[in-house]
Amino acid sequence: MQRVLMKGNEAIAEGAIRAGCRGFFGYPITPSSEIAEYMARKMPTIGGVFVQAESELAAINMVYGGAATGARVMTASSGPGISLKQEGISFLAEGELPCLIVDICRGGPGLGGIQPSQADYFQATRGGGHGDYYIIVLAPSSAQEMMDLTMLGFELADKHRTPVMLMAEGTLGNLIEPVLVRDEVTEFVDKPWAITGCLGRQPNIVNTLHMPVEQLQTRNQHLTEKYQAIRSQEIRSEEFLTEDADLILVAYGIMARIAKKAVMNARSLGIKTGLIRPITLWPYPYGVVNKIAQTCKAMVSIEISTTGQMIEDIKLATAGKVPIHYIGEIARTPNPEEITQQLLVIAAKEGLI
Amino acid sequence: MKRVYNLKQEVEKPPRLTGGHRLCAGCGAGVVVAGVLRALNKEDRAVVTNATGCLEVSTFMYPYTAYMDSFIHSAFENSAATCSGVEAAYNALKRRGKVEGTVKFITFGGDGGTYDIGFQSLSGAMERGHDMVYVCYDNEAYMNTGIQRSSSTPRFARTTTSPVGAKNQGKKQEKKDLTDIMVAHNIPYVAQTAPLGNFKDLHTKAYKAIYTEGPCFMNVLSPCPRGWDYPMAKLAEIIKLAVDTCVWPLFEVEEGVWHLSYMPKRKLPVEDFLRPQGRFRHMFEQGNEWMIEAAQAYVDQRWERLLERSGA
Repeated sequence: MQRVLMKGNEAIAEGAIRAGCRGFFGYPITPSSEIAEYMARKMPTIGGVFVQAESELAAINMVYGGAATGARVMTASSGPGISLKQEGISFLAEGELPCLIVDICRGGPGLGGIQPSQADYFQATRGGGHGDYYIIVLAPSSAQEMMDLTMLGFELADKHRTPVMLMAEGTLGNLIEPVLVRDEVTEFVDKPWAITGCLGRQPNIVNTLHMPVEQLQTRNQHLTEKYQAIRSQEIRSEEFLTEDADLILVAYGIMARIAKKAVMNARSLGIKTGLIRPITLWPYPYGVVNKIAQTCKAMVSIEISTTGQMIEDIKLATAGKVPIHYIGEIARTPNPEEITQQLLVIAAKEGLI
Repeated sequence: MKRVYNLKQEVEKPPRLTGGHRLCAGCGAGVVVAGVLRALNKEDRAVVTNATGCLEVSTFMYPYTAYMDSFIHSAFENSAATCSGVEAAYNALKRRGKVEGTVKFITFGGDGGTYDIGFQSLSGAMERGHDMVYVCYDNEAYMNTGIQRSSSTPRFARTTTSPVGAKNQGKKQEKKDLTDIMVAHNIPYVAQTAPLGNFKDLHTKAYKAIYTEGPCFMNVLSPCPRGWDYPMAKLAEIIKLAVDTCVWPLFEVEEGVWHLSYMPKRKLPVEDFLRPQGRFRHMFEQGNEWMIEAAQAYVDQRWERLLERSGA
């Protein structure tokens, strides 16, 4: 495997190509545009397709069309663009069409800014569009993981016939780091459901309109069971020094790396601190957070968001077992020392120092 | 409505787009917007609506504004709809005698926000007949996000999503003819113009568009030194070449009647316009002569059609 310096956004694009993605449907938006630019250069040289749509709405519906044929296809955008795509994502979920949607987050609401953010957590993990559905959400924390989780995303999408979202902060999209370039994926699951022209077989149908009551109920029941299966099989998280910890930080994406350093800082100041890093934001590692809540004294959600969004999942997971604190602001990636200072205040409040 | 144009007199009016905005040196957009707003009568007020883009992030970075008039921006795809809402509310207030004086409604969008993602809301606003002017400052690509192709990018132009390499020679498709499409909306006034020479063409068309009742549309060429890759000081020269090669003819359509605004004394070959720009550099490489021929044939065909329509 080759080790090269890559921008996070480029690692996503290269990872997708190596995962067999041959259809990219994009629309420019900062800070995600490098993904489309990389695909525009690369796709024509490998027999793939790059299409620049006239809007995010068009791009996500191109994904719908491409995914229906069974091809590995994707799109990439950022917060405001993802909002526009939500109608299409709802249709993709109901059509059970596997695809990858990348969200390189910037601050909102509204036009917000172009600085990094994790404030798309709600629209990513709560379905985002209309109807009863979830999509798998993966949160990488390095350029390497931008590549690796992109490849995993395609695999999970095909395995469960579901759209998968890769969600990362603008910081990570534009961060240049060494990346071990993974081998090309050569084995793919069969897609007997794909719309490929029904010569010699019964027609396949991908449909999202179910007018009879029982039909819609059966469909939603089927989806509910699928989501249950994903919950039982696909939860991924990482723990760091949680065994003896009194104070547990919970952070994902680039914040998890920064929080890790803050854990070490706090430990050197005598506060037994640990970290839980959710890798799948949906399905959320409720079990892990709940287990650790039985042994720790307090938890802190650290997010690049002012209101705090993941904190609601921590509250659901802990069910009032421990007090939950919050550190976070929008549009700024805090450094470990700043977090350590805030942890000292929380630790004092909780009687941990 | 006939007024004698005097540049000196016009520039002595207090500017409606003030200096100190953050647009690049050599960018056409600031010149276009200042030129359009200058056409407002001194005593009239305006509401400026702006689609997301270079212009928006450079002229209205809250809490700063370069506009002397009211300004509203919401998202990328909806500036014409936003302007429709403001205009409709104004009419309601006016009917009830709650606002005084004349307020004009002017929307600015780049080609991305006009030809592509904002086209639906533009078409809707024009069809409903709001008393507004939509001004497209056309720089032929998504410049604000780093020079990606748009449906306004001309064939062969290099952008980051229509790259030049072994498999690709810039954009494959011809530029969408938005001015024509807007004429097909049967609105009272459509104009194609550019900030040329003493700005008379831009000024008189902006005045007509602003003071004609009903929906009006202006498509204004707005070169971009970063995306088109020309030296900053060459802005005026590039515009002149676009017009004199008939790549960007100046014309207007009033109540369905076509009128050519400018007949070049000598129609220059299209390569005169292409050569100074880095985005067309590959067209001058050996073996690519056919590209220049194709570009010339396209311009000639469009120009002949325009001459026919305008009876020039």
